[in-house]
Formats: sequence, structure tokens, C-alpha cells
Amino acid sequence: MIEFLANWLAFTPVFAVPLLLATLGLIVNERAGVINLGAEGMMLCGALAGVACYIEFGESTAVGMTAAAFAGLLIAFLFAFVVVVLRADQVVTGITIVFFGAGLTGLIGLRWNDTAIAGFRKLDLGFLSEIPFFGKVVFAQDAMVYLTIPIAFGVWYFLFRTRAGLNLRAVGENPQAADAAGIAVDAYRFCAVAAGGVLCGMAGGYLALAAAKIWVNEMTHGRGWIAIALVIFARWMPGRAVLGALLFGGIEALIPRIFAAGWPVPQYFLQMTPFLATLAVLVWVGVAGKRRSAAPGALGLPYVREDRW
Amino acid sequence: MPDRAAAAPGRTFRARRFGRLNLEVRQSIGRFKHAAFIAFGLGVGLAISVAILLAAGVEAANIFDEFVVLTFFDRLGLSSVLIECSPLILVGLSAAVAFRVNFWNIGIEGQFFWGAIGATVIAIFDVGPPSIRIGLMLVFAIVGGFLWIVPPAIFKIRFGVNEVISTLLLNYVAYQFVLNQIYGAWQDPRDRFPHSEAFDAAERLPLLGWEKVHLGLLISLVAVALVWWLMQRSRFGVYMRFVGANPHMALASGIPVAMTIFLAVGLSGALSGAAGFVMGAAQEHRLTGTMAAGYGFSGIMIAFLARNNPAAVLVVAFLIGGLYAAGQSVKVFYSLPQALVSLIQAIVVMCVAASDFLVRYRVHWLRGDGR
Repeated sequence: MIEFLANWLAFTPVFAVPLLLATLGLIVNERAGVINLGAEGMMLCGALAGVACYIEFGESTAVGMTAAAFAGLLIAFLFAFVVVVLRADQVVTGITIVFFGAGLTGLIGLRWNDTAIAGFRKLDLGFLSEIPFFGKVVFAQDAMVYLTIPIAFGVWYFLFRTRAGLNLRAVGENPQAADAAGIAVDAYRFCAVAAGGVLCGMAGGYLALAAAKIWVNEMTHGRGWIAIALVIFARWMPGRAVLGALLFGGIEALIPRIFAAGWPVPQYFLQMTPFLATLAVLVWVGVAGKRRSAAPGALGLPYVREDRW
Repeated sequence: MPDRAAAAPGRTFRARRFGRLNLEVRQSIGRFKHAAFIAFGLGVGLAISVAILLAAGVEAANIFDEFVVLTFFDRLGLSSVLIECSPLILVGLSAAVAFRVNFWNIGIEGQFFWGAIGATVIAIFDVGPPSIRIGLMLVFAIVGGFLWIVPPAIFKIRFGVNEVISTLLLNYVAYQFVLNQIYGAWQDPRDRFPHSEAFDAAERLPLLGWEKVHLGLLISLVAVALVWWLMQRSRFGVYMRFVGANPHMALASGIPVAMTIFLAVGLSGALSGAAGFVMGAAQEHRLTGTMAAGYGFSGIMIAFLARNNPAAVLVVAFLIGGLYAAGQSVKVFYSLPQALVSLIQAIVVMCVAASDFLVRYRVHWLRGDGR
């Protein structure tokens, strides 16, 4: 039982990190007032770019993650151009980005399909990793797990402890007022979407390089959407996003453990659980009535200054 | 005022120097201009799509042949367009009905699956006499699709749960359930492949006698007529428009807002279920794990391009049917993946959505004075 628990907890961060990276990206996005439903597509592009560059350029996870971030950034530029500069409908455009990402990766990903890779390796921190139970859970993760902690802290610090973060939140809350105060609304939104894209791309890259260790079509399998729901669950707070990601990462990590333990649970029903749990959380947040108060005021609304010319 | 700009560097200085974009919200736009802007967006989208096809290795000379001549002006091609467009019409209507009341039904694939599941239950357990079985399958498919959208509809109306996420999550749940059935209890006992056993002759939609075009086309056309009447001519249609445009005003005017949303959304689920029935009973002749793939997004895009107008859905679905049919042959001859169809649709939608910019705003470039 202890063995099972240790294995489960040790695997949780691998599933929690992609969810957390994507959720943090979406929080930055939505705090600036842009709802990004295209997370799934950005993650797919990141995953493919990560695996492709990992394979082609010397099997380096750093190269893979950089490529993944860059792929997410490129898709985010496209999304930002359409919704921030051209002020198109954010819901339609976001959904389109998902299928754009799925179509694009399906078309150009054929070469790297189903190629197993070594990917991220667990770090060996010497005697720390030897500690029974805790060593395996806390001190034997891969480098990205440890790197995600400062990223989460950085997002929180940026949003709530810097002037730029304050400006960004003002843009998402009330762009008219922000504009009147001299904040460049479009520039903030564009950069927020770009930053969100980088984090979503990294989420996808990590998913492919650490959790799946392979590229297959549509491999993100709904995790982008779970991240969108986690933003609501986290009430747009980075700290709560960490909790949410650990919770849902834990659910996802439990599934392969249960298979490995050979318990007689119907496989496909088990694989429904992350989606049903997400839905349950959304309903719970809705029933508790916390949603409206926490969402940025101008979420999803394009901003036009309507000045004279 | 160059002296002030020099005295106050920073934002003011830069804004003056490079100039900036100014958007004037249009109060109205002429019909011709409106159409021209959308045609422009469509043209850009198609141009990018052609460029992608070229990059993917389709010869330039063949693109027109494959996508237009052999698809729409060839007996076999046209018949396969008509076959492809039957379920597309139904999912397009499904999206249009829901979008009209501002309910983003992204769960079309899930409802499609439950429609197919409903039809499959009747077919493989031989429920009812063979003479009415196909009708019974349609009814069960409609009920299946309807039931699958009830939870997100209630969550949205009662608790304000974002329907984009809730309907989408249920797609994955429906998909896992289908896998559970086709790898388990319903697996084909004949070939042991992961799909249900084939439907009998009485459980398939009859052919209309022109190539392989089947009754599904007629079902879709009847659905277009019914939905057109409902949305454009009936009292309920007025309610839907009102609720979609301004739910607070509608509530204040005494319109049953919650019920209108619920019924419209339920109809949306039922139409997606019917699409699953057409797919199962006329094309796949069984329940498969891949039968719904792509229909969710296609439905959304058809409704978007048709501006939620049922008559326009018919036209757009016909054209997308052409894309599907051509995609099939391109897939065979050039070994390109099905993802290509998804990509082309996404590009076209994005370009048309972006062209709304010109429809909505009059754009000026204000020149800076520091050049």
C-alpha cells in the first residue's frame, strides 16, 4: 500500500506540471481580458515542436522545451492578431485555434508519429533521493518539475507585485479606465496572449517529453480544456492554480497506477474520471456562486477606443 | 507640436512619431460592401488553403480538378458530396439553433455519439418489428442526443456553468463510453474488430436510387425546412432571437427565457443525435469509434459561416460536403491525412472571422508628425 502511494505521488507532478503551466498561461491571458479557448491547439503545437526538435537536434530536452515554447508563441501571435488587433469573436477564434493546431500537427507531424523517445530523466539528488518515500516523491523528479515552481511564483509576483501586472489586471478589469489612465490596452493584451501561448506551448512540450515520451496525433486529449476549467476553479489566482493542478494531476496519475496494480476497474470508465471531475468542479464553483465575482470584468470583450480621428 | 514632443519623451513622443490605427465603429454597412468584405476573407482563406495543398505535394494543375471538377461536376463525385453533406447539414443546424440563443454547443460530437448509440441499441438488439425499426432507431437517436445535452443546459441555466467547457468535456466522456462498448459488450463477434456488429438490411437507410445517395439526404432536407420555419417564421423563433440578443430585456418583456434556452439547446442536441443516426444507419452501418471525428467543428463552422441561418446552412454544408469528398480522394491519391480537412476549415473560419473587422469598423491610419 505504501509502495502504491509512493508510486502514485511520485507520478503526480509529471501530470500536474503540464496542467499547471497551461493554467498559469491562461490566467495571464484572462487577467488581461482575453479568453483563450485555443489552449488545446497551442499545447498540441508545443508538443509536436518539442518532440520534433528533440529528435532532430541532439535529443536535448532543453532544445525541445524551447522549441515548444516558441511554437506556442507563434500560434499565440496568430490568435492575438485576430482577437486583439482585428477584434474578432474570441470564442469562435479560440475554438478555431484548437482545430487549426490539431490539423496542422496532424499534417506535419507524420514523420515523428509514434517514435518513442527518452525525454526528461528523473534527477538523482544523491542522498536526498535515497530517503524512503519522500526521496522518491519530492527529490527524484525531473528538472522541469522544479523549474515550474519558480515559474508559478513568478506569474504570481508579476501579476500582484509589479506595476506591469497591475496594469495588465486593469486592462482585463476595465479597459476604458485603463486606457484613460494611459495604459496601452492593445499592447498589454497582445503581450499577455503571447505569454500565455509560451506557457501553453511549454505545457504541451512537457506533456510529450516527460509524461507521454512520444508524439501521437491529438495527444493532449482534452488537457487544454481541463486547464481552462482549472482557471475558473482557481478563481484566476496562480496559488490556487497550483492546488488545482496537483489535484487533477493526482487524478490523472492514479489511472495508470490502478492499471498497473491490476485492479478490476473498467478501463474506459476510469479514463472518464478527469473529465467528470472537471465537470463536477465547474458545477461546484457554479453552485457556490463564486464565479462572477472572481472573473475579470472585461473577459472576452474586445476593446475599441472609439475616439475621433 | 514638435517642441512638446521633444520635451516629453516616452509614450506621447512615440505615438506622434509613428502614428497609430484608429477604428471608427460603423453604424451600418451596405449590403454590397458587407458581402465584398466577407468574400475577401473567404478568398484569403482559400488562397492560404491552396498554398498549403501545394506545399503538401498536390500538383497545382490537379487542385482545381480534385476540388471542383471531379467533386461537383462529376456524377460519382456529386453523389458522394450529397452523401457527405447529409450529416453535415444536421450538425450545422444543431450548432445554428444553439448559437441563436447564445449557447455555445461545442459538444456536438458527444451528442452525435449518443445518437449513434441510441440507434445501435435498437439495431443490435432487434427491438421492435423490422418494418418500423429504422424509424425507432431515429427516435432513439434523437432522444440520445437530447439527453446528452440536458446536463450542460441545466448547469448553464441554473448555475451559470460555462457551456463551452461543459459540453466539450462530455465529448470525451461519450467517446470513452463508445470505446467501452466497442471493445467490450458490443464488439463485433464476427471479425473481433473494435466496432459493433453490422446493421441488418432493415436497419439501414434505403437508397434513393441515384448512385449511393440515401434517405439521409431527405431527412436532412426535412430538418432544414422544419428548423427554418421554427427559427424564421414561428413565435418560438422570435423568442430565440430576443433571448440571444438580450436576455435581460427578454426577461423583462415576459418571455420565458430559461425555457426558450432549454428547448433550443435540447433541439440542438436532438439534431446532433439525428446526425449520428444518419452516419450509423446510412454510412458506417455500425457503431465505430471514429464516426463522429470532425463533425463537431464542422457543425460550428457551418453555423458560423451561415450566420445561424438554416437556409444558408444548407448551402454551406453542401460546400463543406465537397471539401469532405475531395478530402477523401486526396487522402487516397496523395496519402495526406484527414487532418488536412480540419486545417482548411480552420483557416477559412479564421479568415472570415477576421474579415468581420472590416465589416464592423472603418479603419484609418493616423500619421505621426515626426517622420
